[in-house]
Amino acid sequence: MNGTSDIGEAGMYGDEGALDPHRAAQLLERTQREAQRELDYRSPWLSVIAAVVALVGFGAVWLTVRDQHPFTGPTTAALWVLYPLIAIRIATVLYAHRRASAGVSGRSVKLRQAEIAAIAVALLAVYLLMFALADNGAGHATFYWMYGLTATLVVLGGCWATRSAVREDWQEFGVCIAVVLVAAFGALAGPRAMWLVDGVGLCVVLLVAAAAEAWLPRTARSDI
Amino acid sequence: MTADALDPLIHVPARLQIMATLATLPGGDALSFTRLQDMIGLTPGNLITHLRKLEEADYLTSEKTGSGPASRTSVALTHRGRAALDLYTQTLRGLLNGL
Repeated sequence: MNGTSDIGEAGMYGDEGALDPHRAAQLLERTQREAQRELDYRSPWLSVIAAVVALVGFGAVWLTVRDQHPFTGPTTAALWVLYPLIAIRIATVLYAHRRASAGVSGRSVKLRQAEIAAIAVALLAVYLLMFALADNGAGHATFYWMYGLTATLVVLGGCWATRSAVREDWQEFGVCIAVVLVAAFGALAGPRAMWLVDGVGLCVVLLVAAAAEAWLPRTARSDI
Repeated sequence: MTADALDPLIHVPARLQIMATLATLPGGDALSFTRLQDMIGLTPGNLITHLRKLEEADYLTSEKTGSGPASRTSVALTHRGRAALDLYTQTLRGLLNGL
């Protein structure tokens, strides 16, 4: 951030700097906007990367399963496309988060750790249930992939939506609810079309989110 | 109302930037000295001077953890500091509306 470029030397280093109300308001607004941007790991580019991951990853799987009768699940080649893309998505989020939260300590850091632990436990429980059902005779490709993908998206979207509502971040809340709805409608489309619906649906939702982040910045706490 | 109604402790560019930056953190969070310096672009000496003035007014608190090269100083707005910035913002808004 270089918010001091148009501030006089006297104002920079002492109390004697003349600061008229207009310049003070501009400085306050700009400083808050830039601080929010630097301290927030989210960015339009991160959402665009997620949109590409969803479209290409799920699209690659759909191309390999669309003609399967009966459905046997994604091929190994398709999973070699999907899993590295998911790994790239996770790595970019971790990098952006680490960069934004550098030097920040206190209550929100502990809260975030607790939130991530809760989501991890929820996902683990979902997968344990899936394996328990598979172990008791439900181990069919349709069940395995439909349940696995849909439950993952519903748990991630639902947990993050709750977190966003508590923080009154309605922009993110809307995106999370849209992810849950895409997952639910994707499941209704069946084991083959589900990958296409989820891929295209998530891509659209995430591109809209990226546009909103770019053009509708979150309101600064004390905007003039 | 004139510009004299603005809190003179905050109505200085560097300290206004410090207060505005720390106010974007959620309550209960602190920012390291080095990150704050990076974000505002002041030299360490200037930043220390301004932080000391704000700390004397009980607008912020600083905490040093560790020792030697691994030591780290964090600063955070106090309730009083947050309230002072809110009042400053309201006064500024009133001044601009009156112009």
